[in-house]
Amino acid sequence: MKTELLHGTLEVMILKALSWGPMHGYGTGRWIEEQGGDALHIEEGSLYPALYRLERKGWIDAEWGLSEKNRRAKYYRLTTKGRQALKANASLWTNFAAAVGNVLNATDAPART
Amino acid sequence: MNAPTFRPPSARWRRYLRFWRANPKADVDDEIAFHLRERIDALVERGLSPAAAAEEALRSLGDIETLKRTCLALAEARENDNRRTEMFEVLRQDVSYALRTMRANLAFSFAIVLTLAIGIGATTAIFSVVDAVLLRPLPYVDADRIVMPMERYGSSGRGNASVGHYFDWSEQSQTFTTTAAAQGATYVIADGEPTRVYGLRVTPSFFDVQYMKPYAGRYFLPNETDESRVVVLSYPFWQSRFAGDSAVVGKQLTLNDKKYTVVGITPKAFTLSDGDERLWTPITFAPGQRTNYGAHFLFVFAKLKPGVTVGQAQRDLERVTEGIRRRYPDEMKERGVEAVAFRELLIGSYDKQLWVLLGAVTFVLLIGCANIASLLLARAAARRKEIAIRGAIGGARGRLVAQLLTESLVLALVGGVVGVAVAKLGIKLLMSAAPDGVPRLQDTSLSPQVLLFALAVTLLCGLLFGLAPALRATRVNLQAELRDGGRGSSGVVRDRLRSALIVTEIGVALVLLVSAGLFIRSAILLQQIPLGFDATGVTMMRMSLPPQRYQDAAAVTSAFQRIVDEVRQAPGVQRAAAATRVPMWGVSIDMGVTVEGRAPDPKRNLIGHVRLSTAGFLETLRVPLVRGRMLTDADLAPAAPWVVVVNDRFARQAFGDENAVGKRISGWTKGKDTPEWRQIVGVVGDTRAFGRDNDSPPEIYIPMTQAPDGAWDAFGRQMTVVARANGDQALGTPMRLAVGRVDRAIPIFNVQTMSTVLARSMATRRFSMLLLSLLGVTGLVLAAIGIYGVIAFFVTQRTHEIGVRLALGASSRNVVRLVVGQALVLSITGIVVGGLAAFWATRVLKTMLFQVDARDPMTYGAAAAMLVVVALVASFIPARRATRVDPLRAMSAAG
Repeated sequence: MKTELLHGTLEVMILKALSWGPMHGYGTGRWIEEQGGDALHIEEGSLYPALYRLERKGWIDAEWGLSEKNRRAKYYRLTTKGRQALKANASLWTNFAAAVGNVLNATDAPART
Repeated sequence: MNAPTFRPPSARWRRYLRFWRANPKADVDDEIAFHLRERIDALVERGLSPAAAAEEALRSLGDIETLKRTCLALAEARENDNRRTEMFEVLRQDVSYALRTMRANLAFSFAIVLTLAIGIGATTAIFSVVDAVLLRPLPYVDADRIVMPMERYGSSGRGNASVGHYFDWSEQSQTFTTTAAAQGATYVIADGEPTRVYGLRVTPSFFDVQYMKPYAGRYFLPNETDESRVVVLSYPFWQSRFAGDSAVVGKQLTLNDKKYTVVGITPKAFTLSDGDERLWTPITFAPGQRTNYGAHFLFVFAKLKPGVTVGQAQRDLERVTEGIRRRYPDEMKERGVEAVAFRELLIGSYDKQLWVLLGAVTFVLLIGCANIASLLLARAAARRKEIAIRGAIGGARGRLVAQLLTESLVLALVGGVVGVAVAKLGIKLLMSAAPDGVPRLQDTSLSPQVLLFALAVTLLCGLLFGLAPALRATRVNLQAELRDGGRGSSGVVRDRLRSALIVTEIGVALVLLVSAGLFIRSAILLQQIPLGFDATGVTMMRMSLPPQRYQDAAAVTSAFQRIVDEVRQAPGVQRAAAATRVPMWGVSIDMGVTVEGRAPDPKRNLIGHVRLSTAGFLETLRVPLVRGRMLTDADLAPAAPWVVVVNDRFARQAFGDENAVGKRISGWTKGKDTPEWRQIVGVVGDTRAFGRDNDSPPEIYIPMTQAPDGAWDAFGRQMTVVARANGDQALGTPMRLAVGRVDRAIPIFNVQTMSTVLARSMATRRFSMLLLSLLGVTGLVLAAIGIYGVIAFFVTQRTHEIGVRLALGASSRNVVRLVVGQALVLSITGIVVGGLAAFWATRVLKTMLFQVDARDPMTYGAAAAMLVVVALVASFIPARRATRVDPLRAMSAAG
């Protein structure tokens, strides 16, 4: 359950990263880590499988291009389908996170019966 | 650089592979390598040494090999997904495009689908019969090992075996696991209205040879004999007589006045045809019968040891039979042995006919396919521009061929589906029109095998008529095509292809017509064969007297005499008589004959078929008298001198051109030393006693009161009464009533008019002829349509040229000659090709024909003439149109 959630989280974050524009896999990981601060540590080993899974789902597609340092890199881009998926999943995650937050910050004690 | 593992030496090369197609493995490797390099750079920037940075980068990725494998698997799965959707997408596009094209040319598509539906339907229907009758294995366990050892008579025929033969074959042969014998028998069931059923008296081993698990109860035990009074019923008999009541096992059944206990029921599939036996009882042989090699009435069945061939069994049986010949040279004169596979015996006569029919129907389908191909070629010509455009905007040739093939296959599949419906109808039709007695015909159905066959035929048709047009259509010079608006020089090539199709069509049609013609000629010749008697207005009634009440010969003859006398009194009867054999019906027993004053020929037996008869028999059938006199009532009186009437064939065999009347002959004197002389008092004409397509046998008519000893037992106390009506009405009812006045308990087993029986004897031949003629005509019509199509196309293509000719002063006649000439050249080429093919193909028909040479010039001539006439007519219509071409318009339009 926990890992499932994590997989889903990583994927939706990748989609969000790519919503700014095409990016290679390394850059995607870096961006997520930067945004999440120390609280989010991305397991590098799980980043690439997630990318490939998204590609298979048709949410992102890839193209080889040159990086800033003139290295050949695989650039990922959000597809239309991916954009829709991001929209749907992002609100799902925000709601979920908010709900979990509400629960954990609750001040009302359970009613006794 | 510092980390050679990150850049495998082959990476560069593999990148080139990507030029041809995606290379997921290289992609994954490169991507991970890129990641590591970026990561190392970042770490070095943070102050780590390059070596420490590399180590840290590798460590943070975890197990790199597993990672790569995971990514590669995902990438490959994606690749496959894509390929699949791409393929389906292409297929979907092609199919929907094909359907749109079909809708756009509705009449055109309709013509093709109809042609295909009829062709595929007819082929499937005939194949379903072939499947049921010929291809499906027989239901018995190890059925392919069942053979029937038979006695061979001279060079002519196979026949039943004697009891002596059966025992010697069984005991002395080494190639069989089991042997069994059966004797045909009729049983009278007395409960209620006396009915006769045909059954077999069998050795208990019969059910070991033809084994299937019993439907109910059991088969016979090895020690059971006729005295055990047990009976096994067949499934159809059990159904019709006992309405499938399973309580019948263990009950009693009165057969021939004796009570038998029903011990078992065979499964449904055990009975192969309607004509098969209905029940079985054990057979018992009298001790004396074991050494009888003269009376031949047993069907012998045997199961080969595993791995033994029919040929080996044959040699084994020959060895045993040679032993019999040494001991009984007299009985074995001109006799031999033959082992025949059971299956061959069962379906032998249908085998060839059905394959010929399947071949013929395939020919019709081929002609149909050629027509469709020709139509598609014509349309491809019209669509050349469309195809050229598709080519120009980047449609690869392979894609275009695939597109056009999809169109053909969609057409074929639609035709195939309708064809299966046609086949269902056709099967019904075939089964109702087919002659009686075809084994397992009732099992014909649209089985999975048949449907598979239909699918295969459909796909094959689609490829057959689609491939050539598709390849041709895409082999166009795009530039030239687009430039001169679809009137390319490649038209000539296509024309030649269509011409080749027409030549093939006409050739195949000729083979069909010749085959049908040969059958029709056979039937006509057969119809012209004189029967030797007059069948019109004659009704026949076959009956046998129960041996319990009609024991000795005197009782039998007086009963038959009374019956004939009663029938003669019956209303509407002009003449009546009875004989043990009338043409088509009854038992025929031949005997060796000795002529007075002549030593018997040691090599050849003089044979005559014995017919015991009342007076007036030959007169009733109007068999002509050649010389002497007929049998009279005086000859039947007690103590009358022994006389016979023989037919011309016998007279010639025995006496050549000498006058046979007055000569004395003797036969059927087994066990006696002295001959029993009978004087020939008359010679009559030959009759086709076994049907039109069999030679007349030598016949000897004996007054029934002068029957040889034991003859009535041999004939089963059986006679057929024939009555000639005043007009040509059937006399069944008055004859039945007349018999009833003599003895109600006499079972009558069949009453028919002679014309009906004769017609039925020709049913198989007529059926083949009818079907082949139908197929021939269909082929002819299809060929005519094909010729018309090609010539019409030819005229359209040459409108310009014809216009020029007309403008230069050619007469309409010249133009007609030009067009019709084109058709004639094609048809004559087709006829020559088809003639050669027919010469070769009709050899297989040889044995199915009657007195017609398979190379009969008249048939070939007629078929060829018919095709020429059809070609002329079919081409004349477009030719007429050509003469109405307006020269000015034709020339200006062509440009």
